[in-house]
Amino acid sequence: MKTIRAAFRCLVLCIGLVAVNGTYAKADPIRIEHERGILELPAPAKRVATINWSFTETVIELGLSPVAVADPQDYADWVAEPKLPDGFVDLGQRSSPNLEALRAAKPDLIITIPDIGMSYEKLSEIAPVLELKLFDEKRPAFEAARDVFAKIAKATGREAEGQAYLAHVDAKLAEYGERIRMALGPDQKLNVIYFFDESTIGIFGGTSLPGSVMAAMNVPMGFTGEVNKWGFARGGLELIAPYAEGSVVYTNPVPDTILEKMFASPMWKFMAFTRNNRVYELPVVWMYGGVPSSLRFARLLTESIENGPHR
Amino acid sequence: MTNTRSRLPATFLILLGLSCVGVLITDFWPFLQKGLAGQVMFSPDETDFDQILFHYSILPRLAMAFLCGAGLALAGAAIQTVLRNPLASPTTLGVGAGVEFALTIFLLIAPASMALFQEAFALAGGMIALGAVYLIASKRGNATLWLILAGMIVNLLLQSGSQIVLLFNEQYLQSIFMWGAGDLAQNGWEATEFVLPRVIIGMIAVLALSRPLDLLALGDETASSLGAKVTTLRFLILGFAVFITASVISAAGMIGFVGLAVPAALRIAGLTRSRDLMICSVVTGGFVLVLIDFIVRQFNGLGGDVLPTGAATALFGAPFIILILRKARIMPGTQSEDQHSDQEIVSKTRLTVILGVTLVAGIFVSLFVSLDGNGLVFLGWNADSLDILLGRSERSFAAMICGAALAVSGTLIQRVGRNPLASPEITGVSSATALAMIIALAIFGFGQRAELMMIGAAGGIISLFVLLILCRKFTHAPHYMLLNGLALTAILGAMVRIVLTRSGTQTSMLMSWLAGTTYFTNMDEVLIVAGVTAVLLVVAIALRRPLELASLGTDQSVSLGLGITGFQFAMMLLAAILAASATLLVGPLSFVGLMAPHLARVAGYRLAGGHLLGAVLIGVNVMMVAEWLARNMIYPAQLPTGLIAALIGTGYFLILAVRKR
Repeated sequence: MKTIRAAFRCLVLCIGLVAVNGTYAKADPIRIEHERGILELPAPAKRVATINWSFTETVIELGLSPVAVADPQDYADWVAEPKLPDGFVDLGQRSSPNLEALRAAKPDLIITIPDIGMSYEKLSEIAPVLELKLFDEKRPAFEAARDVFAKIAKATGREAEGQAYLAHVDAKLAEYGERIRMALGPDQKLNVIYFFDESTIGIFGGTSLPGSVMAAMNVPMGFTGEVNKWGFARGGLELIAPYAEGSVVYTNPVPDTILEKMFASPMWKFMAFTRNNRVYELPVVWMYGGVPSSLRFARLLTESIENGPHR
Repeated sequence: MTNTRSRLPATFLILLGLSCVGVLITDFWPFLQKGLAGQVMFSPDETDFDQILFHYSILPRLAMAFLCGAGLALAGAAIQTVLRNPLASPTTLGVGAGVEFALTIFLLIAPASMALFQEAFALAGGMIALGAVYLIASKRGNATLWLILAGMIVNLLLQSGSQIVLLFNEQYLQSIFMWGAGDLAQNGWEATEFVLPRVIIGMIAVLALSRPLDLLALGDETASSLGAKVTTLRFLILGFAVFITASVISAAGMIGFVGLAVPAALRIAGLTRSRDLMICSVVTGGFVLVLIDFIVRQFNGLGGDVLPTGAATALFGAPFIILILRKARIMPGTQSEDQHSDQEIVSKTRLTVILGVTLVAGIFVSLFVSLDGNGLVFLGWNADSLDILLGRSERSFAAMICGAALAVSGTLIQRVGRNPLASPEITGVSSATALAMIIALAIFGFGQRAELMMIGAAGGIISLFVLLILCRKFTHAPHYMLLNGLALTAILGAMVRIVLTRSGTQTSMLMSWLAGTTYFTNMDEVLIVAGVTAVLLVVAIALRRPLELASLGTDQSVSLGLGITGFQFAMMLLAAILAASATLLVGPLSFVGLMAPHLARVAGYRLAGGHLLGAVLIGVNVMMVAEWLARNMIYPAQLPTGLIAALIGTGYFLILAVRKR
């Protein structure tokens, strides 16, 4: 079947693209290492399609408008910023981006994740595919995000802008870190938690995006326990009990009913951070995002801690 | 013999009770040592975290485990008695899945102001599911097997429905998935306060009705002659059983198998009077869940995550089904009569013509017509057209081939098993293939489809051998194979759930594959499966004469001098290979294997050869339509084809049930 497909493609190429053939060999190709070896691009990508939100925000932050975006409605709720530009093609779900819509968007680069690696070949038929890993249990997520950012900057021919942005992020993180340490006071450790329901919480660990961004900001994190594949530990409130002397920030969005029940529970009330009034609320940030979300996390964390405890 | 039998339940109960006392002592030990047990139970020291944790987390968890176990076991005992079916339970009859589906939708879609109606919504979900099961199975004498198979259909449909809703709400996946897998974690006494009165009301009601229930157990005619209003009683008891189930699931999520295994085990142990059975079920069910939850708690925190109690319960409880199968005397029921009592919905010739025309027109529509959110779009001619056509034909062809493979598989199983409601997933092969692939992908990190396919095929074949070993003693009763397959499917389903809670970032891809998407298939695979299907279809048609004899019934066939058991197993093997191939392509949801042969037979394709070809024609058509809908219905989102086919299939059986009235 490969041969039949190849024959079809040849035919199409011969009919339509004879003129384009000449331009291929001229410039030095861009080479990027990714999950499938080395991707060679004849020229910097101009029309980028993004299957994952962290790529979407990265491309936008690099000053390029993505031509195709997956799950744009939910992006607004969960990532919030940077805002999506107008005029992209909606690809449907992130887990199965619509291939015909993707083709219609005429991308010259598709950026995808290994989590839907089964679709790699199909995507490759439409345009060159850059498959980048965002989470690796062994690697801090912020480090991976920087790596992804640099690779996307290279693929889009914006390495200078990319480096400038990363330098800006480093400077900002150092500044925010200083401000958080000031606001928290000496020797205060911080934990980032998420409420699954009124009895189950997740605590982000050192390899997660919030954990590794805090490390980059030099803000000490309390939790040191074992984490799952998403980079957090899940369990009852007893998980956070050993770190209760520190401060706690909880992430959004969380339904109000869960918050009310949690805050009314005797175990929550007992915790030292509740009694010491060291609980902070973080506005919506995408906790599985890229460098832009990392910076946004750092900024909102700083603001929320400087604004004082949640109630 | 009678004496030892009647002592068995008591011994059983005492053992369980002692184990639970052991659990309590283990949990209380730190406080017993300091003489604080009373204090920690009733008025914990608000400055000591250990006491607070115990009083507000562990103690309510113990209470919830007991209440949920007791409630579900009682509901199971009541349903089993009312339906006179040792395999009936809240989970096997779709009640649990109905409540879960209703709640999933409610939690995601309903505005906060509607929260008051949550319970009514859950109850309605459970009742509707049970009603649908009853409707599909009724007028077939409600034979044991029919009811369970109908329950299986509704279960699969609702579970995949819940998964679809989740696919569109990926961010909430983790929260709802945990609840769906049955989570007993507590933070305060609120959930206990919610469940306690409801379970008690339900228990009192069911126990109050248990005397008339004993009459019911004697059989409809006897009970009627004694003056009991059979239908009202049945309805009331079932209603309260669903009420208990809905309350438990609302508070603790899906906890399966307690409701099936506990009363069934007690019955086998010798309890036959419904009142004794129910009282014993309450206590035993409570003890059992406390014990299982104690074991589960020891694994919490392993790998930085929690182990969901409900899914673990399924793992502990499902082996009981196999035990029950060996003890319970399940008769094949009245299927042979049923074969002839089905009215013709459509005539054979007309159906053939319609299907032929649809197939040709459908292929054209599948390739050239689509929706793009604004309206119908016809594919024009440009440089991309060939690639688009190739992409569409790849997916349509994959769906159609799977339709054909499943139709052949289903026809063989239905004829050899002499059961018109049997289907490929009942053999457990589909689930085992899926489980093997999911474990390979999520736990061992195999990412290549070729590798996954090999692993999946191995899983399917292993499950088949397990099935053959389980069924060695039942060579004369093919329906045992189906029921064992059903138990296997249940065990595998529970394992899939546990693996999925731990699969991290790949969960959504796995879930869409489980629901049957053609999105990830490629042409090389499709061609391989097409080849396998074609060869096996030819083999099956060549064997149509012995197949004909096999479906007449074992006794006649043997007397005609045919080695029926070996032949039956060969046909089952063929069916399993076909089902596994289809599963590799589009996931394990295969209602087409159930529906296509059934419709073909109802339409009058009675001889084996015609039945096979008719079923293939129907299967191909259904999957083709499902595939087009899946790709275009809510553009640009891509729905799983298997789910759409399942909706069509369930709709078909419901229409069939309604027409029979």
